[in-house]
Amino acid sequence: MKGILVSFLLLLFCQYAHSQEYYVYVTAESEDEVSLIKFDGVKTNIIENKAVGVWPAEIEGPHGITVDPSGKFWYLSLAHGNPYGTLYKFKTGSNEYVAKVELGLFPASMEISKATGLLYCVNFNLHGDMVPSSVSVVDPEEMIEIDRITTGVMPHGSRISPDGLYQYSVGMMSGELFEIDALGMKVSRKLILDEEKGMDHGQMDHSQMDHSKMDHSKMNHGMKGMNHSKTKPTWVMPHPDGKRAYVAGNGSNEILEIDLTTWTVSSRWPCEKGPYNIDVSPDGNLLVVSYKTAGKTGIWDLTSNEQVAVIKNSNKVTHGVAISSDSKYAFVSVEGIGGDPGAMDVVDLTKNEIVTTAYLGKQAGGIAFWKVEK
Amino acid sequence: MKKLLFLTLYFVIMSSFKTFAQDELSIRVTPPSLSLEIGEKATLNAIVVDQNGREQPDRKVLFYAGRQSRKAITIDSTGQVTALKGGNYQVILISPDTSGKRIRQYYPVLVKDAPIAKVELLDVPEKIYAGTTSRIIIKVFDAAGFERTNVDLNIKTDNESVAKLDKYGNLTALKPGSTTLRVEVEGIEGSSSLKIVKNPAVKLELASDMDAARTGDVFHFKARLLDKNGKEVTDAPVKFAFHGESDNPEYTASGVIKQDGRFVADVPGLYTVIATSGANSAMKSVEISQRNVSRKIEVIGHGSVSDKHTSDFWIWQGKDGKDYGVTGTWGADGTAYFWDVTDPANIFKIDSVQVDARTVNDVKVSEDGNICIISREGASNRKNGIIIIDCKNPADVKIVSTFTENLTGGVHNLFIDKGYVYALSAGRKYYIIDIKDPANPFIVSDFELETPGHSIHDVWIEDGIAYSSNWADGIQLVDIGNGIAGGSPKNPVQFASYAYPSGANHASFPYNSSTGKFYVVGGDEKFPYGLDPEGDKPSRAAGFLHFIDFSELNKPEEVARFEIPMAGSHNYWIDGDILYAAFYNGGVRVVDISGELLGDLYKQGREIAWIIPEDPRGFVKNAPFTWGAQLHKGHIFYSDWNSGLWSAKLEPVKPKNTKLQSR
Repeated sequence: MKGILVSFLLLLFCQYAHSQEYYVYVTAESEDEVSLIKFDGVKTNIIENKAVGVWPAEIEGPHGITVDPSGKFWYLSLAHGNPYGTLYKFKTGSNEYVAKVELGLFPASMEISKATGLLYCVNFNLHGDMVPSSVSVVDPEEMIEIDRITTGVMPHGSRISPDGLYQYSVGMMSGELFEIDALGMKVSRKLILDEEKGMDHGQMDHSQMDHSKMDHSKMNHGMKGMNHSKTKPTWVMPHPDGKRAYVAGNGSNEILEIDLTTWTVSSRWPCEKGPYNIDVSPDGNLLVVSYKTAGKTGIWDLTSNEQVAVIKNSNKVTHGVAISSDSKYAFVSVEGIGGDPGAMDVVDLTKNEIVTTAYLGKQAGGIAFWKVEK
Repeated sequence: MKKLLFLTLYFVIMSSFKTFAQDELSIRVTPPSLSLEIGEKATLNAIVVDQNGREQPDRKVLFYAGRQSRKAITIDSTGQVTALKGGNYQVILISPDTSGKRIRQYYPVLVKDAPIAKVELLDVPEKIYAGTTSRIIIKVFDAAGFERTNVDLNIKTDNESVAKLDKYGNLTALKPGSTTLRVEVEGIEGSSSLKIVKNPAVKLELASDMDAARTGDVFHFKARLLDKNGKEVTDAPVKFAFHGESDNPEYTASGVIKQDGRFVADVPGLYTVIATSGANSAMKSVEISQRNVSRKIEVIGHGSVSDKHTSDFWIWQGKDGKDYGVTGTWGADGTAYFWDVTDPANIFKIDSVQVDARTVNDVKVSEDGNICIISREGASNRKNGIIIIDCKNPADVKIVSTFTENLTGGVHNLFIDKGYVYALSAGRKYYIIDIKDPANPFIVSDFELETPGHSIHDVWIEDGIAYSSNWADGIQLVDIGNGIAGGSPKNPVQFASYAYPSGANHASFPYNSSTGKFYVVGGDEKFPYGLDPEGDKPSRAAGFLHFIDFSELNKPEEVARFEIPMAGSHNYWIDGDILYAAFYNGGVRVVDISGELLGDLYKQGREIAWIIPEDPRGFVKNAPFTWGAQLHKGHIFYSDWNSGLWSAKLEPVKPKNTKLQSR
């Protein structure tokens, strides 16, 4: 009798748990497509694969994506242009186009501050000269770029502090962490992330150099000659407590814990190869990191600062991470190689295992959690 | 008890109102409105207040200029507004709040136009002959230096019986005499003295280099003004116009007349060109017949690619004397296919390579047929670059090397010429790479414009000149060994350019016409109709081919266009005096570009043939989207995005007006 009761309660619990529906947006960078995916606790359902861009015979590269704090709109950066990339605004649910604005070279990750209502998007300039790039500040209601703040070389990983007053990003090739005053629209603090300082591209005035006249054939761009950041940070994610942030050291294969009060690197955690994107669960307990090179996802317990699980993803080249608002699931995008389909693995953070995989357009990358509803 | 209950309710309600009132915050700006002169500055003082006007000292305010205002006013973080250009604008004010109760308001700013400072009259002839009409340019500037078009012009001459001017700038000299032309705007006047002299011309003669021609043939009319002694008057303006009567009532006579006397007709009929100068006029009629260049074209062969999109291609004669092709693939798995096309009716795959990429957008083969180069986009390590392939035996191709230095952003197009590869980098510039040793390529130089926001889409090499297509910066001609400007692959030297207003320059191809003229054909790429949201319907392009006469390098002139209704240009090829152009959903268009070019080539009936590759088994079924065309040994080869590689053949030119005699 007791067993029947337990089974009944378990079934009831499962039904309740599975009645939650999670909605996630994922970009497919080599398909010029954005997918809206519903996950019901067991399986995924692709609600829409939306073609984005306007050039059928050119890949425009949807890269970064975010949903605004109200949940009413999603924003997408199309990295390629002539030459500048573009930020698009769509309605959530209907995915109806609203407006667009041109930003800088290769606009990438972005987030909206709940305090200012403004959107902060890094201009990654992934393939340009090794010169400091910028963060574009956009009024998402008017869809106008209101400022462009110079930061480091190849800025990436734009994330906002929990109170909405600061924006954080990293300079991938200059090895720097930047804090921008979201209201003042100025860099308020900068932190060198490399343990041993190499060539500091952030300090160099590359604008006065003529890179085109350099004899690159004599240089070893395979990194033996020119010394870029060893850490090669690709992402920064503030903790919900507002006191810490975590940086993915893509080049040094480590996760850096940043003390935001003292503005120092408080800890370095060795990890799998190629940590790329990071998300922290809204309850502050877990950190989930994509290991791009290893093709894995890492789950870290932020109370013990220990990695509790490493999960092999469904394909190679793991890219982005977004955790559900109830901290139960991590949604991980996987690029694949060549003609492989892109994918989104759903990781159950209570069991540390992949529940299901949604197969998407090629080179699934940018990922944004929209909502959970019953 | 009732009273106590009432009082309790009263206080509860009132305290709720009070809370509501405190929550109703707004931004109060002083001054309450702002009107500025251009160049004037003013500082906005913005504070957050509650409904009772009480300042909320912990709330900050952020200012910035709104849409349409950003180049007209500036505003800094202290609230100082500087007026730059006249008009009605907006400042947006935001007071952030960490709980999300953000305040957002709009504040209007009026910037008054600066007073008019100058009225300029340009192109006023020094000597004007009575009876003639000249075009005057009127420009109005305000004190801030802006040219103003939103103004009323008060135009007059001091003696309207001598000369008068209309609002479009047409100055008509009525009789000999002197007068002053005056244009007044808001109290500011521009003036110019006019001296009208007796017109010595008594006769106007009009001649042309032909009396009859076909549609599209360019006439050169020459007008000669003569005085009473038969001496030519060379400094009086002559205007040309025409009228025409079509041979066919279903068509309207049309054409182009230039004010230097060039004339071309679009449809058959009788056309009369009229030259006027004052009271003198002359006319000459010419007969226009159908160009009659159309020929039959038929599909010869098809190498199907139906599981992925096909991109660019190249056809060449191999070392063994047989003919081969290579095609790229788009948005797929990084494959390039090699084909035997020796028999154009039997095109078949003989080998392929697969590289780490999603798109192999461009493919080229060296002049000697030894080396094939392919471009990469969408590499999983984001290094992209180019792949150098040994294709001496196209049935067994081998990758020799991969070169990614400075090309990580993706190579969209490339070219190979005399041991050098010209490879586009991230749509910004092209690098010139020495591949004489294909296993050890190295960069020798690059070419990049310095204009703001410059970009590039394509580069083509012919006779030591690189023709690059640079979107808004147009066609760039760069000496990379021709000698015209002392350039070389190690030292590319730009020596000519032409940009057209649409900014859509996507491809460029040189054409040395048998007339001796040197044209560069600039092609657009446009997709104004957007994407099919489902991605499974045919796409539709727009844009056309621009014919630029570069015979005078420092004075290029856009003279003609070829445009297909509801389709758009992509890549093309010129052999002899025939253009083979891919027009995406419009298939391949074969165009007669012989003779001098002027006007609308499509309307002139210069299209020889067209063929549209519809394939019910295509990647997208029956959705022609032709990428490029190339003539090789008398066959037209063309690649199609949805169906692969095709060949076609034009029927030979048949002698006109010749009857076959049966024996």
